[in-house]
Amino acid sequence: MREQAITYGVFAEQPESMPPIFRALFPLLFLALLGVAFVWSIAFEELPPADFAFDNGNEVQTVDPARATGSPENRILNALFEGLLRSLPEPGWEEKYGPDDNVPMTPQPAMADLPEISEDGRVYTYRIKDGRLWSDGSPVTAYDFEWSWMRVLHPESASQYAYQLYYLKGGRAYNTMQLENGDLVEVELADRPNPLQLFPRGTILHGRLKEIRKPKAPVIPEDASEERKNRIEGEWQEKWVYLVEVEEEGKDQPKLRAFSKKPRLSQPLYDGEIEPCMWVLTDFSKTVGVKAVDEKTLVVTLNSATPYFNELVAFYTLYPVHRPTIEKYGSPGWAKPQYLVGNGPFTMEFRRIRDRIRLKKNPKYWDAANVKLNTIDAMAVKSETTSLNLYLDKQIDWATVMPVSTIPKLRKEFGDQFRSAPMLTVYFYRVNTTRPGLRDPRVRRALNLAIDKANICQIITRAGEVPATTFVPPGLAGYESPPGQGFDVEQARKLLAEAGYPNGRGLPVVEILYNDTDAHRTIAERVQQMWRENLGVESRLRGLEWGVYLDAQDKLDYGVARAGWIADYPDPNTFLDLFVSDNPQNQTGWKNARYDELIEGASQESDPEKRLKMLSEAEAILLEEMPIIPFYFYVSKNLVKPYVRGFFNNVQDLHPLTLIEVDKEAKAKALKFGAGEKTAGGAR
Amino acid sequence: MSRRLLGLGILLGKRVLWMLLTVWIVFTITWILMRLVPGGPYSAEKKVPPAIQRNLEAQFRMNEPLLVQYGSQLWDALRGDLRLSMKLQDYSVNEVIAQGFPVSAALGIFALTFALFFGTVAGVISAVRRNSFFDYSFMAFATLGIAVPNFVLAGVAILIIVFQWHLLPPAGWGSRDHIWLPALCLAAPYTAYVARLTRAGMLEVLNLDYIRTAYAKGLSPRTVIVKHALRGAILPVVSYIGPAAAGILTGSLILERIFNIPGMGSHFIEAASQRDYTLAMGIVLVSTILVYVMNMLVDISYAVIDPRVKME
Repeated sequence: MREQAITYGVFAEQPESMPPIFRALFPLLFLALLGVAFVWSIAFEELPPADFAFDNGNEVQTVDPARATGSPENRILNALFEGLLRSLPEPGWEEKYGPDDNVPMTPQPAMADLPEISEDGRVYTYRIKDGRLWSDGSPVTAYDFEWSWMRVLHPESASQYAYQLYYLKGGRAYNTMQLENGDLVEVELADRPNPLQLFPRGTILHGRLKEIRKPKAPVIPEDASEERKNRIEGEWQEKWVYLVEVEEEGKDQPKLRAFSKKPRLSQPLYDGEIEPCMWVLTDFSKTVGVKAVDEKTLVVTLNSATPYFNELVAFYTLYPVHRPTIEKYGSPGWAKPQYLVGNGPFTMEFRRIRDRIRLKKNPKYWDAANVKLNTIDAMAVKSETTSLNLYLDKQIDWATVMPVSTIPKLRKEFGDQFRSAPMLTVYFYRVNTTRPGLRDPRVRRALNLAIDKANICQIITRAGEVPATTFVPPGLAGYESPPGQGFDVEQARKLLAEAGYPNGRGLPVVEILYNDTDAHRTIAERVQQMWRENLGVESRLRGLEWGVYLDAQDKLDYGVARAGWIADYPDPNTFLDLFVSDNPQNQTGWKNARYDELIEGASQESDPEKRLKMLSEAEAILLEEMPIIPFYFYVSKNLVKPYVRGFFNNVQDLHPLTLIEVDKEAKAKALKFGAGEKTAGGAR
Repeated sequence: MSRRLLGLGILLGKRVLWMLLTVWIVFTITWILMRLVPGGPYSAEKKVPPAIQRNLEAQFRMNEPLLVQYGSQLWDALRGDLRLSMKLQDYSVNEVIAQGFPVSAALGIFALTFALFFGTVAGVISAVRRNSFFDYSFMAFATLGIAVPNFVLAGVAILIIVFQWHLLPPAGWGSRDHIWLPALCLAAPYTAYVARLTRAGMLEVLNLDYIRTAYAKGLSPRTVIVKHALRGAILPVVSYIGPAAAGILTGSLILERIFNIPGMGSHFIEAASQRDYTLAMGIVLVSTILVYVMNMLVDISYAVIDPRVKME
């Protein structure tokens, strides 16, 4: 009885607890739920593998040509869109060049023929060719280009690469909102359907700026952060009142009207009616050097002869985008696979974030007959090791990255699959020329001379990088860098002593700043050691996370800082104009009037030979003054399966997907060995 | 009955309130930490003029006074609008999470099922056959499973299973083959823990009077173990399911990275390192809610299974 009593005690609250049946069912219910969830978790809808798969590095940040900046984006944008011209090797390159040669690429007819160029080199006339269609079947016109370039330059697009269009007459002023009294202006009224979307735009009025009335400028506290300064400045600018003589249809006399972004706040400045507006900018159609004369003709007027302008036209920032789609779905909606309309050789079948973009051949593309691949998987692979694993396991046909430590082995064992050639990219250190000690060019030169760059290339980078004595990489047609100086400890010691720091005595500790990755750290450690041993100069390492590192570099909060620069276009100017006094990329505190003059002069010079000579002279100054220490020139590193054809090396490491072909038989055979016959992927 | 249901309602209400408070605190701390780190989300090697910088900030409403930014972002988050991703510019945070969550969930459920099933079985066998060969080898494995970090396990698994035996692909996501390696590596420590919990629970219960009674009634050993002993012994495991599920669903970061799986973990690592403020915030909030809900569900089920637990 005793036991029963206890039992009764424990279950005394029986009437109030869950019904026993429920309690009994609960474990079963849980198991059933878990079972259903488990079945769901393994329910994959298998997907046929693509014809060709490659690792595209980091996840593509955007497929909007106006906003994209990196090389993964470059590969995708070149597949989805096409510019007036396209960078390709000249026909017959396959016979002419070996697998390890760099094949020269030039801008070739694409949406348009090669342009007619005016005598002074400033006016380019492009004619759109027949049969150029968007993927929805509508024709590509010159108006598409005019509109797309306006979109890139419009301040609200906030395009980082807008400066690629600063070569256009009036491009910079439109983008940076420079206005002067008397300028022709366009006023966008605040009647957009959606104020947060730039397109479709509100009503545009044209006229002439008479005056800008500004309230008293705010006092910006000295210690305010950059962000805060910007905000104060911005809030002030929003109160400006623009007095514009607006042209009115059917009337000869323009009418004076007043506009402001915040009419209520600016009321005290003007006693008439102030109309709300979104933007007052220079008149794009009248002041910026791009004009669609008719559907087929695009006339581009440049500030000065720019011999590499066609290269820029073949760069994605200047690709056209489909206006109706953007106006309908807005941004970022238009860039979704289901809506995106492009004019390139491929369309986007689907996109899985941080997994892959599946590209599909575009049947509407003008040269579709010569596009060999039907489907392509551009895999987003973050880790170099993973990329190599996928390549070795035959899940991808082309690997664009691999761990540095594996390169010597890969070269040995996969000699013909490891494709490598010099590139237009330089690894260098910026030197903070505002720091005591480093202020002296002799010290900077000594620091340069004391670094054994060949040693760094052989021991650390190990992919065949070329030690640099100059800043501009070799391989640019017609350009010859001035002779630079190699590794010379004697000379370095002498220079340092001359500067008043014999054996490094008295020189403040040099801080080496880098973004913290293994490769950069190892190089920095080696440099630290070389400086100590060769010069007696002490240095301190400071590895920072990417964003913080950029910030520190920007604020000149460093001694020397690691950097790299990839050519935006194949011309020495892309390297040399970095160190003009007012270039935001300068970041060394270095200024040289003669240098600025030469770079500016070169941009005005129409004789190509003279121009390159001026640039070479400028580089000589750079190497003499050494606000930067060049380390080495990169080499491209690609692993490509032997059954892939149409893959070639070039100085920009661009590999047009239109030329790539897969020998299907050979691929099937290769896949039979070992693993990999399974599908490369599937859908959830 | 009704009093008990009322108790359940009050309990749930209290829990939801606590959850909101937690979410708010997490939001605030995350928000402040993000603003404290030097270098904004738009720090890029190629710089833009200040005017355009301002426009970029305007698009993400970072041009307003800090308090206004905080308030409006909190309000949006409460309404379920996590805004546009700052780095994945073609997507909103909601869309990124909508794509990433099912991936992590599939991986997590697979791992959890595996851990519960094999953990329990191993635990029961170990307890019933105490000090046998099975017991020793299972418990040795369990110790290993808890001690070896899953990224080490992943490396070894790739070496052997992918490159020696050519059984499974080394990375990626999309077919059934892709789930095995990461899920097993993810499940390993949880399986080990479940096995040890089950074993300990079983050993305790097997010595209790009612088990002796059950044997005495002449029930078969299997019935006694599965129907009577396991029910009592499983309680610690049940209370472990909550933290385990939350841990598995949010703890797959490194494995997702190693196996290149486009789940929440990968998105979170990238968001943090690229300063994608909005995406990082979104994932932090979703994870917080997830952990909270998991624990809440466990508490409720605990109360359902064990009548001694009161709804308070």
